[in-house]
Amino acid sequence: MNAPNIPSMRHLQPEFEALKKRYPAGFESSLTLPCLRRIQEARGYVADQDIDWLVEYLGVPRVQVEEVLSYYTQFRRAPIGRWHLQACRNVSCSMRGAERLIDHLSRKLGVKPGETTADGRFTLSVVECLGSCGTAPVVMVNDAYFENMDAAKLDTLLGGLK
Amino acid sequence: MTGRKLIMDFPVTATSHLLADYVARGGYETLKRVLTALKPEDVTKEVTASGVLGHGGAAFPVGRKWAVVKLDDGQPHYLCANADEGEPGTFKDRWILEHAPHLLLESMLITCYALQVRNCFVYIRGEFDRPYRRLQAAVEEAYAAGWFGENILGTDFACDIVVYRGAGSYVCGEASALITSIEGRKGYPRNRPPRLTVRGLYQKPTVINNVETLSNVAIIMRMGAEAFRKFGVAKSPGTQLVSISGHVNKPGVYEVEYGYPLARFIYEDCGGVLGGKQLKCIVPGGISTKVLTAADIEGVTYDHKAMERAGSQVGSGGMVVIAEGTCMVRLLQVMLRFYHHESCGQCTPCREGMGWMHRIIDRIVEGAGRPEDIDTLVRISNANDGTTICGMGDAAGYATVGIIAKYRDEFEYYIANKRSKCGGRLEVEAGEPVHA
Amino acid sequence: MPDFFINGQPVHAERGQTVLQAALAAGFYIPYFCWHPNLSVAGNCRVCVVEVEGEGGGGSWSDIACNMPVTEGMRVLTDSEPVREQRKQILQFILLNHPVDCGVCDKAGECMLQDHHYAYNGEPSVSTVPKVRATKYFQLSDRIVLDNERCIVCSRCVRFTREVSGSHGLGIQHRGDHSLVRAAEDGAFNTDPYSDNVVDICPVGALLSKRFLHKARVWYLQPTPSVCPGCARGCTVNLWHRKHEWKLNHLDPKQNTEIARVTPLANPAVNGPWICNKGRDLAALFERPRAEQALLKGRPVALGEAFAAARRLIDDAGRPVALVSSWGSNEELAAFKRLLGSRFSCFVKSDQRPAPGEVVEDDILIRADKNPNTATAKQLFGEAPVAFPDGADLVLVWGEGFDFTQLPRGARVIYLNAYLAPENGHADVFVPISIQTERGGHYTNFDGHTGSFERLFAPKPTVAHAEDVFAKLATTVEVA
Repeated sequence: MNAPNIPSMRHLQPEFEALKKRYPAGFESSLTLPCLRRIQEARGYVADQDIDWLVEYLGVPRVQVEEVLSYYTQFRRAPIGRWHLQACRNVSCSMRGAERLIDHLSRKLGVKPGETTADGRFTLSVVECLGSCGTAPVVMVNDAYFENMDAAKLDTLLGGLK
Repeated sequence: MTGRKLIMDFPVTATSHLLADYVARGGYETLKRVLTALKPEDVTKEVTASGVLGHGGAAFPVGRKWAVVKLDDGQPHYLCANADEGEPGTFKDRWILEHAPHLLLESMLITCYALQVRNCFVYIRGEFDRPYRRLQAAVEEAYAAGWFGENILGTDFACDIVVYRGAGSYVCGEASALITSIEGRKGYPRNRPPRLTVRGLYQKPTVINNVETLSNVAIIMRMGAEAFRKFGVAKSPGTQLVSISGHVNKPGVYEVEYGYPLARFIYEDCGGVLGGKQLKCIVPGGISTKVLTAADIEGVTYDHKAMERAGSQVGSGGMVVIAEGTCMVRLLQVMLRFYHHESCGQCTPCREGMGWMHRIIDRIVEGAGRPEDIDTLVRISNANDGTTICGMGDAAGYATVGIIAKYRDEFEYYIANKRSKCGGRLEVEAGEPVHA
Repeated sequence: MPDFFINGQPVHAERGQTVLQAALAAGFYIPYFCWHPNLSVAGNCRVCVVEVEGEGGGGSWSDIACNMPVTEGMRVLTDSEPVREQRKQILQFILLNHPVDCGVCDKAGECMLQDHHYAYNGEPSVSTVPKVRATKYFQLSDRIVLDNERCIVCSRCVRFTREVSGSHGLGIQHRGDHSLVRAAEDGAFNTDPYSDNVVDICPVGALLSKRFLHKARVWYLQPTPSVCPGCARGCTVNLWHRKHEWKLNHLDPKQNTEIARVTPLANPAVNGPWICNKGRDLAALFERPRAEQALLKGRPVALGEAFAAARRLIDDAGRPVALVSSWGSNEELAAFKRLLGSRFSCFVKSDQRPAPGEVVEDDILIRADKNPNTATAKQLFGEAPVAFPDGADLVLVWGEGFDFTQLPRGARVIYLNAYLAPENGHADVFVPISIQTERGGHYTNFDGHTGSFERLFAPKPTVAHAEDVFAKLATTVEVA
């Protein structure tokens, strides 16, 4: 899962130092989530080496970081496709066509939810409510919401994602 | 339209969320007056007198929550704005974060002054990327203008804010799970006692309020409690941001003055049901509230007591409109799948119960339901009511019991005939182009 | 100090106690899983639910007792109909995905889930959906096996590694009914010298000791109180062995005289409810190959002949020196002092030293002195380190740990040892002696606490108790 010779993320330390200053004293443990998010932003996932370093830097028990990584759905410990397609399947989205949309995506990309296309471009996930029910159905691509989606708009969108 | 406006009282433009526009609308004047002319206790007194209730779903009187925090107790106090907004059907706090972030910030500063809070937080769900950027930009603007930091307005008052991003967990919208997440751990809710206002974030007195709740503080302090109470009705003063979605022609966020007729809101202001269909029922305030049928909402005014009398709640203001012909069994399946996915797993009734309910409803939908399944779902729901660490177990129970109470016949039909009475439909009509 | 009522009876509570603590102290039983007297309150199992009667005509309410502060005059019901119903529901939830494989589970017979089920539920499952499957017999560490299906996610084990051993070796991964107890990936649990305590505190058969796995049904075993000799802490322990009425006649009879497992014997003054892993491994320590034959310079003889030879050596000696065992019991040490103490120059010997890789000392239980009775030995025989005065011509070595190459040239040796060792054959007189499981006695720990150990098994007839040996050797000696 994690290659031994991946680059370190220690260059982020100055950023983390600046972030630490915004928190009250004694809040080192709080930095766990923002630091993991930043590392994942840079690497695409959180590697074992990143956990080792973060544990050393923050002084939190390693098990705490492992638990956090396994508990929150947005964190991952392995790389995924370049474009993460996260389709909401909750109440309002399902009522406005999300199930058909997910079917369409699945057939078009040739993957089931949870899988990545062979060329590494797309990972398809089904997610719960994204807080955008008024513009359902919604698909989140990496960090951005794409609202009021339909099959045609999705096709156009995917075409533009290299 | 839907009553008078307190929050959504300006036209949204390309710049209306920026500091300059907010100041032009009178922004930060209230903070100035509070810091220079009022004592912290005065603010709490005014907020208490306003009778304003929490807008996150529990409708707890705000002043009563604040009053537990002892001023001058020598301990750090913390304030957290709950911007987790994970309740399905709810997207109204997002409106404030994207379009009125400074209203929230000014309100938080006033609240921090009232509660002697030096460090405050906004806990924003991880998926809200654009709202986060808008809010963070507003925070930087506020710092640059001297509204945060040391010696604000030349007074002793100092305040710093951190916008803390979640990472994908509905339970982190629960107040004690929220602060446990800010502590850098899994979002596990906590047992009470102790109340969070006694021992919360890092075991210090902490107030957690919903984004919309806090946004009312600047408004209350601007106009005064008495003027505020002229909005809404006696037991529900003020307004509610309602996010409406589902089978409705004009989904979106609306500010509804409490007391406004509910049926009129849905049929007129929101354009009525998609495709000219009949209304079947609504989820009034997030899926954790009990459904109300079209008949149930006739003559009901949109305020806390009236909604309770009607058999449900104002809740989080997340309204979902459900048209005739929608399969309520499949709808409940979507909900139970959600609760199962989000259960933190700490306490027995929810950890085991959510999965159990999900597996039962899956089996019903697959055509293998048994007659006793309906009563089992109700039994599991009741066994989660009041027995769990946080309200999620109860919430799943309310959703289930509410739907079964009104639509037991659909469940019985599905089990007896191994198929849905409504063709398994969740959309208004299957095959209709989606937003053509 | 608040006074309140449980089931109508007045109960006195200490300040700050919860209803559960006060109830248990007063002899009322409220069932629980996740609560433990030595760990923080988790309040997740929800089994300890009680009903509280409303005041002034208000309705009653129910909540968990482990997190409920006692208030003056409150009226608590622990067995009302609503409480029974709620408890039953919770137990049904706990059993929902539980494999109920008691037939192959080591915990059977001492399982809190079995006990509570029979007492408070006793009904078959109402579920008709398949159980959630999870890992079984997962290797949590070199010593501990975890069955995630049996686990009720009570978090006792996790809290133990956080609050007691401080290793932070365990955590709960994922969420919901996919929650799994797992060891931290840095191996902290594997090197936690207190790891095995989680097996004791696990209320079900999820955490099991590999050493004890499938060894014996607990109802065939009985515990005998003892004191761990692993260090000067002297934790009190229970040594489990086959009950006499359940002894095996047709299988390997060695099983009848083996220590099947070691558990802590709770002792608030010394070790609380914990012991370290070295104490768990006492069987391996005690059951090393034993010396069973008296020897004269390697020649097997009867005990009587050995004693006679030894007495002659003592009579003839000019400057006899004794190296006294710090593993001797209070009784043995007192006997040596009384019978031979005036004849010999005595020095206290440290029988065991920390082994490579062994934890030397920590601020929890483990002491650097790896001997159980240095305190009494030094009190009787002084603090001076082992040193041979000029002209030492007889050395009586009692117990292990002495390097025979350090003997003075030409000195004769009387050696008392329980275990097989090459030195046994080099001694002029060798007498095999008993170990603590073969006699009763006492040790005094570093802190002055005296703990007692009891006899489990009889020694072989050719093995002597050291106390008797001293008496035999002293017959020609002027007793002090």
